[in-house]
Amino acid sequence: MSTSTTCSHIIAAFADDELRGTILSKLKTVVTWNVNRFQSVRNPAKRRKVAAPACSTCNLSLSRPFACLHCVYAGCWVGGHIVDHLKDKDHTFCADVKTGSVFCSECDDFIYDAKLDEIYLSAVILAEEKQTKFQDAKKPREAYKLWTPTAKEAAALEGAVAIPCQGRRGLLNLGQTCYLNAVLQCFAHNPLLRNYFLGDKHNSKQCKIEENCTCCEMDKLFSEIFSDDMNPYGPISLLATTWKASAELSGYAQQDAHEFFMSALNQIHSTSRGSTNVSCNCIIHSTFAGQLESDVKCERCGNVTTTVDPMLDISLELKGKGGEIASGENTLAACLRRFTQPEKLGPKEYSCSKCGKSHEASKRLSIRKLPPVLSFQFKRFEQKSKDKASARKIDAPIRFPASLNMAPYTSLVMKETEKENSGPAFSYPGPEAMYEYDLFAVINHEGQLNNGHYTNFARFQDEWYRFDDDKVTHSSLGECLRSAAYMCFYVKRHLDYKPYVTPSYVLTRETEAVREKELEKEKEAARMKEVEDALLATV
Amino acid sequence: MAPANVDALYAQIRKRMVEGGEWEQIQAALAAKLNESGWVDDLRDRSKERARNMDPLSFQTLLEQVNPNAQTSVPLAVKREIISLIRQYLEKQFE
Repeated sequence: MSTSTTCSHIIAAFADDELRGTILSKLKTVVTWNVNRFQSVRNPAKRRKVAAPACSTCNLSLSRPFACLHCVYAGCWVGGHIVDHLKDKDHTFCADVKTGSVFCSECDDFIYDAKLDEIYLSAVILAEEKQTKFQDAKKPREAYKLWTPTAKEAAALEGAVAIPCQGRRGLLNLGQTCYLNAVLQCFAHNPLLRNYFLGDKHNSKQCKIEENCTCCEMDKLFSEIFSDDMNPYGPISLLATTWKASAELSGYAQQDAHEFFMSALNQIHSTSRGSTNVSCNCIIHSTFAGQLESDVKCERCGNVTTTVDPMLDISLELKGKGGEIASGENTLAACLRRFTQPEKLGPKEYSCSKCGKSHEASKRLSIRKLPPVLSFQFKRFEQKSKDKASARKIDAPIRFPASLNMAPYTSLVMKETEKENSGPAFSYPGPEAMYEYDLFAVINHEGQLNNGHYTNFARFQDEWYRFDDDKVTHSSLGECLRSAAYMCFYVKRHLDYKPYVTPSYVLTRETEAVREKELEKEKEAARMKEVEDALLATV
Repeated sequence: MAPANVDALYAQIRKRMVEGGEWEQIQAALAAKLNESGWVDDLRDRSKERARNMDPLSFQTLLEQVNPNAQTSVPLAVKREIISLIRQYLEKQFE
C-alpha cells in the first residue's frame, strides 16, 4: 500500500483495476497531447491543422485546458467550469494538462500521488523525445529507459541497505579554506556528480592511482557527506591533494573560488579512468563541457569565419562598453545578451580570407552546444593593472532566475532569429525542455578581494540550504535569490542521452579477465600432467 | 458596442489566437519577461513559504492569499510591452 499520496480517494480509485487504467491512460493521453500541441503550434507549417479545444461549459477556446480523467470533458479552471463538471457528473479527478497536477473533487484540492507523478513525467519525456528533431548520425533521439535490475543485480541488491540520496554535512574551515568548502558543496549538490560517485563509478579502494588522485578524494568526500556522521567534516586529504596538483593554489592564503573550481575540474578529469585530451567523456566533460561558437563576419563582403571552442563554464562581464553597469540591465539574461552581442573588430584586428583586405569585422559569440550543467561566473574582480593590489571588487547585485531558458543564446536560435527578422524566434527546433535549466547552487562572496568570505546556497529537490563552512541551515529560494551571487550553477531540466556504449577500458578489462582464466586453465592442465607423469614414473 | 457583441467578438478572436499560435507566442513572451523581472521567483517563493506554514494546506486558500499581490506586482513595463504585442496582433486582424 503506497503511502506516497495525500489523498485517500485516489487509493480507493486505484484499488479498482479498471478505473485505475482509465485514469492513468487518460492522464497520459492529455499530457502527451499538450506537449505535442505546444510543439506543433511553433511550427508554421503545421499551425493551421491544430484545432483548439473549447471549454465544454463556456465554449471559449482553451489555452490552459483542464481535462476530466473519467470522461471527455475539458474545461476552464477559472470560473469553476471543470470543478462544476466533476460535481455534476460525480467524477472525482481532473488534471491540468500542462503540469499534470491532479485535482480531487472530494478533497476539494490538488493532490499528490507518486504514481500520477511518474505517469506525467514519463509521458512528457516520451513525447519530448519523439519531437526532438536534432539527429545524431541520422538516428532519432535516444529514449530514456527506466532501469530494471537483472536477476543478477536483484540478487546482489538483496540484503543491501538503502540509504536516502540526500546527504548534507558542514565542512570545517581548515584555515582560509571557505573557497574550497563552497565549491565542494556545489559539487556535492550537483546531481550528475553525486550520481556518479554514489554509483561507485570511481571506487577509491580499487583505484589504481597510488597517490594524489583527486577522483578518489571526491569519492571519499561523498562517502563522508552521505555517512551517518552529522558532525562537520574536514576535507584534509582533499586539500593536500589540490596543493600537490596546483602550486598556485597551495598554502593557507585565501584563494579565488572560481580558480579553484576550474583547477578541481581539471584534476578530477585527469584522474578519471579513460579520460582523453580530445572529445573526452569523463564525468567532468560529460557534465560541464559545452561548445562556444565564434562567428567573425567581414563587414565588407559578408564572409563568415566560424570557430568552435570547448567550454566548461561561462564567465560574464558585468560592465558594458561604457564601463558602467546599465540600470535595469543587472540581470543574468542581460549579461548573456551582452555576452552574445556582436563586437566590432577594427581593421587592424582582422583581415578577410575571402575579399583579402583588412576590413572592419564583427565578432559574435554564441553557445553551439549546451552542457547538462551550466556554470556561470560573474566577473566581480576587475584588475586595473598587472598589480594585484589594485584589483577592485564589483559588488553590484545581479538578479538571476531559478529557471533559465538558454534558447536565445544558442547558435541555432540566434541564426533563426536573424533569418526571421521579426523579434524573438519561435520556430526553432524544440522541445523547449532542451533549453531549460534549473538553479541548484550559488556561491556567494562577501567582503573585499583579499579579506572576504565565501559561503554558498544549494538545493536538494525543492528545499534550499545555506552553507557557511561547518554551519548548515535550512533556507529558502527567496533567500538564495536575494543573495549577491559570484557563481551560479544550473542543471538541465530533462537530460538527453547517448546510446550506451561499454567504455573501452571495461571491454579491455573483460577480455583480459577471459584471457587470465584461460591461462589459469592451461597452467592447471600442465600441472595435472606433471603430477600424472610423476605418478606414472613411480609405477 | 453591445456587451453581447463584445463577448462574441472576444470569443472569436481568442479562438483565432489560440489556433494560430499567437496566444502561445505572446504568453511565452510574457513568461520570459516576468521571469527576468524576478516576478515568477518571487511568487514561487511567497507561495511556497506560505504553504509551508499553512494548516490545513489548501490550493484555493493559497491562491486567494497570493493572487492580489501577484496581480499588482506585475511590472508596469512588462504590462505595457505585452499590451503592445496584443494590440499589434489585433490591428493586423482588423486591417
